[in-house]
Amino acid sequence: MKTRTIRAWSWTHKWSSLVSTLFLLMLCVTGLPLVFTHEIEEVLLEQAWVPANPDGPLLSLDAVLAAGLALHPGEVPAFMSFDEDRPVVNVTSVDPNGPAGAYSFEPIDQTSGSVAPPVAGHPVMEFLLQLHTDLFLGLPGMLFLGLMGLMLVAAVVSGIVLYAPFMRRLPFGTVRASKPARTRWLDYHNLLGVVTAAWVLVVGTTGVVNTLATPILAYWKSTALKELTAAYDTPAPTGERASLDAAVERAKQALPGMKLQFVAFPGTDYSTDHHYAVFFHGGTPLTTHLLTPALIDARTGELAAVAPTPWYVKALSLSKPLHFGDYGGIWLKILWAVLDVATIVILVSGLYLWLAKGRRRRQ
Amino acid sequence: MSRKDLGLMAIFGAPAVIFVLSLIGLVGALVADGVQDLFYSALLGSTVAATVWALIRRRR
Repeated sequence: MKTRTIRAWSWTHKWSSLVSTLFLLMLCVTGLPLVFTHEIEEVLLEQAWVPANPDGPLLSLDAVLAAGLALHPGEVPAFMSFDEDRPVVNVTSVDPNGPAGAYSFEPIDQTSGSVAPPVAGHPVMEFLLQLHTDLFLGLPGMLFLGLMGLMLVAAVVSGIVLYAPFMRRLPFGTVRASKPARTRWLDYHNLLGVVTAAWVLVVGTTGVVNTLATPILAYWKSTALKELTAAYDTPAPTGERASLDAAVERAKQALPGMKLQFVAFPGTDYSTDHHYAVFFHGGTPLTTHLLTPALIDARTGELAAVAPTPWYVKALSLSKPLHFGDYGGIWLKILWAVLDVATIVILVSGLYLWLAKGRRRRQ
Repeated sequence: MSRKDLGLMAIFGAPAVIFVLSLIGLVGALVADGVQDLFYSALLGSTVAATVWALIRRRR
């Protein structure tokens, strides 16, 4: 490689890293416990609980919704999701005049209508997730972290290119442990950097895709779902909505064999202003991550459309597991944690190498 | 140093193998379930195995 080429890649590596290191360190440190969110919340939120009427009939979804909303007067329904191993329906509501994203979340016992203890959403984990997602800054924060993710990708690619001149006389994996700290840490940095490259690139790019969730969903709504909303001028008022229970039943008929995941109410990111979007997922390991919504007209209860999601929404759906590492059992999660720690070592050693180089130059 | 420079194959051979194994592991675990998840996780584990091997055998 020519000296000039190496210098250009060096410049790219240095600046893409320097600009993003602090934020990437925050992402790695908060990401480490987040990998084990499910396990941690199982411990933190563990509470013996049985439904009020284990063998009794289940309340209709409309009744559950009313019970959830009664706890938050003035709020409108946003989402409804379903626990898998207990008869609990989670009602998420939002104050239409409050700040965006300030949701209330109530797990409701479907056998009684009373509140069940939460199994997710511990405040500490929620805090970490929010910091990790958007630095508490909403969409601008998300997009900013997405930009930092792109810097990471640039740093990894330039790092791989620079690996060649550094390693041209060293067999793979050489660690010159007896040499001065700068040489030793350069070897650690290069070794860890090159073996983790694929994982870091996958977690980095899927992280970037996740930061684009809001614009991706907005684009989907404004294109693919647009025809469905053409007939109406104003959003479906909450007082004039068809039965939710009937809507979900209708949706189930439209997508036989698929599993109900959640309902998005009119006006939320995942639906139009006029439809209940009833989301289903498939039964195979892959399709369990892929969602298909049936849109039910919220005024009439009629099926408006089954809307298979376009490729970019599928890409967003698959980016979630590939970023979080929660799709292949506990060993995959442990690897995620180990590689996360390796990334922290790469970031800190990179910073150290830059500082040490500067010090040597000044001397 | 009188030793000859290594070629690209020698420099990138092992990293390329680990890169491909990692990708197969990452994607494979997404389409597989149960025992197969362990297999694909092990492919991603080649990253850790290579590091441990280097720290033991290539330390000098």
